[in-house]
Amino acid sequence: MSSHTASSSNGGNGSGDSGVPKRNSKRPKYSKFTQQELPACKPILTPRWVVSAFLLVAIVFIPIGIACLIGSRDVVEVVERYETKCIPVLNRTDKVQFIQSAADKTCRISMTIPKRMKQPIYVYYQLDNFYQNHRRYVKSRSDEQLKSASKENDTSACKPEDIANGRGAIVPCGLIAWSLFNDTYSFSRQNQSLTVNKMGIAWKSDKQKRFGKNVFPKNFQGGGLVGGATLNESIPLSEQEDLMVWMRTAALPTFRKLYGKIEVDLEEKEVINVTLMNYYNTYSFNGKKKLVLSTTSWIGGRNDFLGIAYLTVGMICFALSMGFTIVYFVKPRLAFYGDLATLPSYHGTEVLDRTKNVHGILLMFKAHPSLPIGTEALHHFGTSLLIVTLMSMECLKHDIDSGRILMV
Amino acid sequence: MTTPLQRYTHYFVGFTLFNVLIQVTRLVKEGTGKTTLAIGDGANDVGMIQEADIGVGISGVEGMQAVMASDFSISQFRFLERLLVVHGHWCYKRIAQMVIIKRLSRFSLSSICYFFYKNIAFGLTLFYFEAFTAFSGQSVYNDWYMLLFNVILTSLPVISLGVFEQDVSAEVCLQFPALYQQGPKNLFFDWYRILGWMGNGLYTSLVIFILNIMIFYNQAFRAEGQTADMAAMGATMFSCIISAVNCQIALTMSHFTWIQHLFVWGSVTTWYLFLLLYGMLPPYYSEDAHKILVEALGPAPIYWCTILLVTVACNLPYLAHISFQRCFNPMDHHIIQEIKYYKKDVEDQHMWRRERSKARQETKIGFTARVDAKIRQLKGKLQRKSSTLVLPNCMPSPC
Repeated sequence: MSSHTASSSNGGNGSGDSGVPKRNSKRPKYSKFTQQELPACKPILTPRWVVSAFLLVAIVFIPIGIACLIGSRDVVEVVERYETKCIPVLNRTDKVQFIQSAADKTCRISMTIPKRMKQPIYVYYQLDNFYQNHRRYVKSRSDEQLKSASKENDTSACKPEDIANGRGAIVPCGLIAWSLFNDTYSFSRQNQSLTVNKMGIAWKSDKQKRFGKNVFPKNFQGGGLVGGATLNESIPLSEQEDLMVWMRTAALPTFRKLYGKIEVDLEEKEVINVTLMNYYNTYSFNGKKKLVLSTTSWIGGRNDFLGIAYLTVGMICFALSMGFTIVYFVKPRLAFYGDLATLPSYHGTEVLDRTKNVHGILLMFKAHPSLPIGTEALHHFGTSLLIVTLMSMECLKHDIDSGRILMV
Repeated sequence: MTTPLQRYTHYFVGFTLFNVLIQVTRLVKEGTGKTTLAIGDGANDVGMIQEADIGVGISGVEGMQAVMASDFSISQFRFLERLLVVHGHWCYKRIAQMVIIKRLSRFSLSSICYFFYKNIAFGLTLFYFEAFTAFSGQSVYNDWYMLLFNVILTSLPVISLGVFEQDVSAEVCLQFPALYQQGPKNLFFDWYRILGWMGNGLYTSLVIFILNIMIFYNQAFRAEGQTADMAAMGATMFSCIISAVNCQIALTMSHFTWIQHLFVWGSVTTWYLFLLLYGMLPPYYSEDAHKILVEALGPAPIYWCTILLVTVACNLPYLAHISFQRCFNPMDHHIIQEIKYYKKDVEDQHMWRRERSKARQETKIGFTARVDAKIRQLKGKLQRKSSTLVLPNCMPSPC
């Protein structure tokens, strides 16, 4: 039953072997797929590929990094923090009490333009330490209600801001809408006011698909506690762009939202006077409020990180490609590219130390009984010296000749 | 060195009694603690085939009972060698590259590879995000993305790896049975590899998360001045994960048929297709992801730049590691792959034939290996002696 003579050359390719004629009828249909002989590409990492790959990445990434960095540096940005500045000095010990009182909340700040800003200049408000990404906050909305007037009472997810006491459902319901930002800004330079265009700040898909044209705010902020802005009840939701921008919950606790656009150029060193109404209460949770004026480039706003990251990765790849070139050139695997003598499984359980390449050559030569014992040492030294010089000159060209010398 | 074929043939017996076959197989299994393989073609061999760890049935003159009871079936006995040396070797490699919980008798060793790598890379980004949401449990990804991650978007390449991967071709496996040693020697299931893959997953998750957070920080991400909301950042982060993880598996594969290409690149394409189609659904279903690819992310250069950067940054250490390993510490199958690649077997027939014949000789092993073999033999004898005391009515095996 056991057959030691089952030679691989005959028994290996069962699909191609004819065997006994009567067995042909039982053989399953041959297909490349079932015999796992599909044409395949078998790439391997030769030194050429390794160095080329790293070099290619470096060549692609460094210019992209430079382009991103230039794009980011072209952006001019002015940031002004105002939540503490805009509380009168007398009230700074109890800011929460001030903000909740009926006192006059008008505040005047000025911003100096550092460099010429080309229109359109985008106006943002930035909030810090405001967790719009909190799970309960994110859930607290009703998309059905925002879309169609008939689904007005679909407020189950919006608790506690779902129903105004006894007066029916709140439209739009939920905590997100309830906490709508309500600071306002008006800009002027040299006593000439600048118009802020508040149209076109929300996504088009929001305007057209998510906020209905016949849905009007109702009972808004009617739940007892006022959390933010009030909405004009005669304007349908599809035109309330501030609401749309606010309801796109931000990913991080520090975020900016688009307030409007200024469509004139601002010159360098101009002083812009801002009259802002400091209504929004961020003092209960130590939040910060900032006003931002920014231009944009092809990459968006000002953030050097992308450019720097590209440059870093590009430099690392370049260093790696140079490193590998040096390594392949200076310290090549002498028993390389097809010398089966280095396979550890054929030489017992000791793993050949391939970095000590002379040792490898010695072991390989020991397999040949024809060499006289006395001249072995001399022979080894001579050939290994020759091989070292040859390989270090020719390893990158994968010269077969040097391989043949080893095989003698 | 004995080939596995030779080793297993020691335990073949020529009896035809049903009971005896089962008892002998059991004796060998328990006495030596080795994996046993039984091969048979008749109805009387069914018990033995089922008793052994691996049962091989031969379909033939005596009918199909042996085949139905077996784990593997072949049509002629001579195919056994191919089964062991070619398919056994490939099977071992493929499973090592997928994931398997393998409890050995002496110690528990879970082999973690690609499956755990991708799930670590994916899951940890969710954990990192929690720190930014006041630990409220909000996930940065849409539920549908998370659902599809393991079902469609990353599972097919692993399957193609498990079914089709061949580090060396069938002829080479047969010519170099020593490659089979990589299996029993557990060269691919060791702690160094497992921790390495886990570390790779950790590194990938950190790179994906940190790069995305820093790039989409709070400024506008488009020339029209809009800032990124959670939906945009989540979709970008997820796209980065899909690209990075699929490129990683492409780097681990050494055998690319059209199937592998289809599955790997097809997974990435499927993700974009899904995002496109999901975005087209009305907002009732897609919520914040409505038209996100077409309107918000697609036209934004920063989105594509981020994906490219993250994919390369995630795969860079692995690429450097395998290049380094191939240069300084190549394994047997690496060298054989190189021979095939440079067609040295064709050019240098003398060397190729000499090495093949060497692979078959029983000597050519070092001193320590001979000592190891002797120790194994003596241990075996000792275990057999102690097991004959335990089992009263067994027969001594004719070794």
